[in-house]
Parts: sequence; structure tokens; C-alpha cells
Amino acid sequence: MKINMLEYNKMLINNNISIIYSGPLWAEGIDGMAEFIQRRLDKDELTLSASQSVFSVFVEQLNNMLMYSVNKEQPENTDKPHTEASKGIFLMGKHDHSYFLQTGNYMKTSSVELLKSRIDHLNTLDKQQLRQFFKEQRKIEDNNPESKGGGIGLIEVARRATSKIDYDFIPCEDGITYFTMYVTI
Amino acid sequence: MAFYLEKEKTTSTPYLLLDEEKGYMKLEGRSFHEGVTEFFKEIFDWLDVYLTTDFGEFTFDFEMNYFNSSTSKLLHNMLMKMDRYVTDKNKIVVNWITTEDNDIIIECGEDFQEEIEDLTFNMVIR
Repeated sequence: MKINMLEYNKMLINNNISIIYSGPLWAEGIDGMAEFIQRRLDKDELTLSASQSVFSVFVEQLNNMLMYSVNKEQPENTDKPHTEASKGIFLMGKHDHSYFLQTGNYMKTSSVELLKSRIDHLNTLDKQQLRQFFKEQRKIEDNNPESKGGGIGLIEVARRATSKIDYDFIPCEDGITYFTMYVTI
Repeated sequence: MAFYLEKEKTTSTPYLLLDEEKGYMKLEGRSFHEGVTEFFKEIFDWLDVYLTTDFGEFTFDFEMNYFNSSTSKLLHNMLMKMDRYVTDKNKIVVNWITTEDNDIIIECGEDFQEEIEDLTFNMVIR
């Protein structure tokens, strides 16, 4: 199906979206996107902490998707999140001097409750508490070699964001849920 | 033969220099590759043996300007390990080198500093 690119382009501009990616996720692909985003941030001449914060949220969000996303078209791969089953959509934009980063991916419904409770908890903490919580969780995860560090990745997102972590879980069929996360910096 | 390892930096992995003869290690750049555990494995494999020897003095220059949460966990593991092996004869110095505008790295350094007991941790702001 041919897309009306002019309309699509207008939609991106009207929503202040400057970068959008949809497709498979893998480490080197993220590297490419990271360079692109860094160049974009350099152009905006931000302070180092502002640019590091946006970059950091991007990295943690993408790592999070890489870890938890499942490809709805290949549900048999849902136990192997590091295979080609990792897929997602990422967008970044700028509006009124603040950046917004949003991700979307399919995930296992069985993991929803844990993820939701983690985010809800982070949203109750202030920056100082988040810093402390990050330290505590890092220590716990360090003693647990099985952990891939997903827990502290989310804390990092919360620490760098200037907003609460906004999210939606949209139930789909067959034990799959669509997850979207939105933060501003 | 003394162990020597040097790795060039990539977009998401840091420059690494490990020189056993000089008792020296350096990390510089950025770290956020998804396979960061594998990157650090070589360092840990060597450190696990090295720290049990009479190495005298070991210096670790940390000069990274960004690292993600998974890397933070590995750095924590590494620093705590080093901290446990400090004795009267074996000294370990960590130089946490950064710039004054890098608030995030400075804060991370302060947090590590708080958890460390025996090794010498220098915050070097250039």
C-alpha cells in the first residue's frame, strides 16, 4: 500500500516528532541510532547534563525494549527476547524546550503486573529518593548474577526524566500486551 | 608473561587499557552496549587472579563520560571487588576523572565513593 508521505510528514511535524524508528532492535542498530541522536542533541547546544539526560533515557528505554519486547508475529519466540523477536517503535521530539521520548512494544501479559508496579513505585519517589533507590537496587542486582539489570534501567529513566513515567498497557490476544512508555526531559 | 590488553573504543564500548606490568588499568569513553557483560568479562577474569597476588600498587584511571545502568552494575561489582583486596601491602588507587560540567558522572562517583571502604578513591575534576 502506498503511503501518503506528505500527510505522514505533516503528522510528524504537527506532533513535533523529529526522530522515529520502527522495526527490529539489536545492539548495533541501537549504536547507529545513538550516534544519530547524539548529533541531533549536539546541534541543539544543550548543557552537558541536559544532553546526557536525554541520551540516557534513550539508551535505557531501548535496552528495556530489547529485553522485554516480543514479536507478536512470532509468539513461539516469546521466551527468547534476545532473538530477532525484539521489535519496537521509538520516537523523539521537542516541544517548548523539552524533549519527549516514547516507545512502544509488545510484551508478555504475564510480565505486566511486575512492570506496572515498578513504574508506579518510581513515580512516587523524588530525585533524591530515586538516587538512593538506584544505589540500593544496584547492590541487590549485583548480588544476583541472573539479573540483566532491567530494574535499575527503569530507575535511571525516572531519575533523568523531568516528568513522571507515563505509560499504557493495551491488552491484545494470546497473552500479549502492547506497552507504551512516555517521558519528557 | 605479564598480561596486556588494549581495546579501541566503539560507539558503545569504551577504550580499555590493562597493563599488568605497570599495575595499571584505564577505561575511557562511553559504555552502553547490550553485551557489556561480555566486554567486562575479560577484565574480571584477569582481576580475579591478579588481586590475589602480591601486586603492590594498582591504579585504575576511570575517564568515561557516559555509562548506562547495566555498566553501572558491573562497575559497582568491580570496585567492591577491588575494595575487598586492599591490604597493608596491596594498595589500589581509583582516579575518577571527569569535567566539572559532567554532573551525572560526578554524582555516580560520589555514590561509589560512599560505598567504598579501603581503596583510595580520588575525584579528579578537570
